Amino acid sequence: MKFGKKLAITAIAGLALMGTAACSKGGNSSSSSEKIPSKVTKKTNVVFWHGMTGVQQSTLQTLTKEFEKKNPKISVKLENQGAYNDLQAKINSTLQSPNNLPTITQAYPGWLWNAAQNKMLVDLKPYINNKDVGWGSAKNSDIRTELLDGAKIKGTQYGIPFNKSIETLTYNADMFKKYGIKKAPTTMQELKQDSETIYKKSNHKVVGAGFDSLSNYYVLGMKNQGTDFSNKINFTGPQSKKLINYYADGVKKGYFRVAGSEHYLSGPFANQKVAMFIGTSAGEGFVKQGVGKKFTYDEAPRPGKYTMQQGTDIYMFKHASANQKAAAFKYIKFLVSKSSQLKWANATGYIPVNEGVVKSSAYKSNKNLKLPAKLESAMKYLYSVPVAKNSNAAYQQLNPVMQTILSAAQKKQNVNNAIKAGKSKFDAAWKQ
Amino acid sequence: MKTNQKKAWLFLAPTIIFVTFFSIYPILRAFVMSFQSGSLINLSWSGLSNYQYLFKDPEFWLAIKNTALYALISVPIGLAISILLAWIIFSKVKHKSFFETTFFMPYVTSTIAIGIVFRYIFNGDYGLLNFVLRCLHLPAPIWIDDPSMSLTTIIIFGIWTSLAFNIVILMGALRNIDPNFYTVADMYGASGAEKFWRITMPELIPTLAFLLTMNIIGAFKVYTSVYALFNGQAGVGNSGTTAVFYIYNKFQIVGTPGVAMAATVVLFLIILFITFLQRKMMKKIGEN
Repeated sequence: MKFGKKLAITAIAGLALMGTAACSKGGNSSSSSEKIPSKVTKKTNVVFWHGMTGVQQSTLQTLTKEFEKKNPKISVKLENQGAYNDLQAKINSTLQSPNNLPTITQAYPGWLWNAAQNKMLVDLKPYINNKDVGWGSAKNSDIRTELLDGAKIKGTQYGIPFNKSIETLTYNADMFKKYGIKKAPTTMQELKQDSETIYKKSNHKVVGAGFDSLSNYYVLGMKNQGTDFSNKINFTGPQSKKLINYYADGVKKGYFRVAGSEHYLSGPFANQKVAMFIGTSAGEGFVKQGVGKKFTYDEAPRPGKYTMQQGTDIYMFKHASANQKAAAFKYIKFLVSKSSQLKWANATGYIPVNEGVVKSSAYKSNKNLKLPAKLESAMKYLYSVPVAKNSNAAYQQLNPVMQTILSAAQKKQNVNNAIKAGKSKFDAAWKQ
Repeated sequence: MKTNQKKAWLFLAPTIIFVTFFSIYPILRAFVMSFQSGSLINLSWSGLSNYQYLFKDPEFWLAIKNTALYALISVPIGLAISILLAWIIFSKVKHKSFFETTFFMPYVTSTIAIGIVFRYIFNGDYGLLNFVLRCLHLPAPIWIDDPSMSLTTIIIFGIWTSLAFNIVILMGALRNIDPNFYTVADMYGASGAEKFWRITMPELIPTLAFLLTMNIIGAFKVYTSVYALFNGQAGVGNSGTTAVFYIYNKFQIVGTPGVAMAATVVLFLIILFITFLQRKMMKKIGEN
């Protein structure tokens, strides 16, 4: 009895303590209608969360140093949060205590759906239109409209596109010559034919093609048939089935393949086990490194009308002071400026967000990478995953669903059951 | 009737406060959150809807099925192999300490690092394991990239990693058995098998009960080995997804903490129930 009573007292004391701890939250949230300072005169710190590694990270560091030199009052602290998944998880869990959030972060708009709903992000439109910190207007920024639109959440410009990539076709040019394929395929029909040819002529030694991202394969395949990505998609409908079977047939017959647990086909591509693959343009650095002098590779636009624009934008959180926000925006403006984007794109393989850079000869004549010369034609029609409730979850769910379907195909099984099972998972992802 | 000394509370206070804050409070919070929906920053009461969603989600059932199979297969097999190896080292091998150290090595190595090495060993095209299997003219399955093999691969890896800890604990238990038992048994002419079943095994029961509990609980919480084996994913097509993987994904990636916490509560109840059953069972065995 006595013990029970004491335990209860301790528990109550503990809960009371927790209550006090919980009350100490809150703090200096600033109002939304604050004035944008025209100049940053005080010493200001900006914290920037990112998920860049390797040459991407070192280039970002160089650019940041350059910015700090030009703006001695502003110091930018780069904080690497690991891979994209880790960054997303970190943002998600920190949203609870807004004061621990950075000033700005790299993110996909879909990650910040909840943050936007709860008004935790800064609408950047006033900053863009501001003559001192911004460009005066969105048009003056010279950022491609589709990319700017891709950084909107429910129509509000919360983000500025920064490290963007598109899906392109990477192919083994030597192998194309060997098996008599004159040019890179431009439609899905041609992709299938060429893949079959390569697979046959190589005596089943070389697989024709594969797609790195199965989510993108599905989303773009539907878009090319005129259907936007939304919860209205019927996964077992005729359009969807046609799309899935196109890939599944190829896997069954051997001329298509998937990346599997390696996630990227650049490895098998470099080992000449697959003749071409569709993947992110930001991977060209890895392709180049893997291929070395073994053969000549080249880049071409993704077959089909649309290509995916992916990669993160930069978003700003509300809790920062007016000075910090202005400083952060100056930094963003610097990162997407013509000179920075040229350096960034040339070093990393990301696409320049800047219209002027894409067309500039300084970019096009980059001998280091194959993409720059082809980029203008490769990004005529851009598409991005629409930002809506659970669209990010559904988009991510497509990957395992497609993997299950295609591995059934690999084992020459009927894929219909897998498609049916996929439908329930896909629908469940939209409904949570 | 004995009463507790008042001072004892003072000495217990640090632990009680620590446990309340970091063990009991999270459990309560998880329980409360399982009835809420929305994102972390904007939770609202939603009754049982999370549980309804959970029980309808095929992915959740797959996760529970995988976790249960993993625990029920890998733990007994792992334990049996551990007893066998510990017994061999203890009774038949010279330079015991060398082997003991060797077997303990995997325990002090990070699971992620071992998992990455195993990913190469298990690779379907150029892996060491399939190379050996092909040399022996045995079928060489695609361990990593075939969804139907995912669970098998995780179980094999799980058994391998569990050996280290089990063997060291069992070696300690074997050393604690009074050697006089064996001397007496020898005097009466007992065979090796008789000595093992009549002396060694009964003496090991308390240790085995401990290991079984620890291993089962550990197995239900499997996450790291799956993450490392499949390169950050739960196997091709999420075929190797486990309960903890599901919870992490729903909480951190999908952003539905309510569903994640409902899954946590279900997993908690399952572990509680199984541990309870197990204790009952071990008590029965101990009595006989």
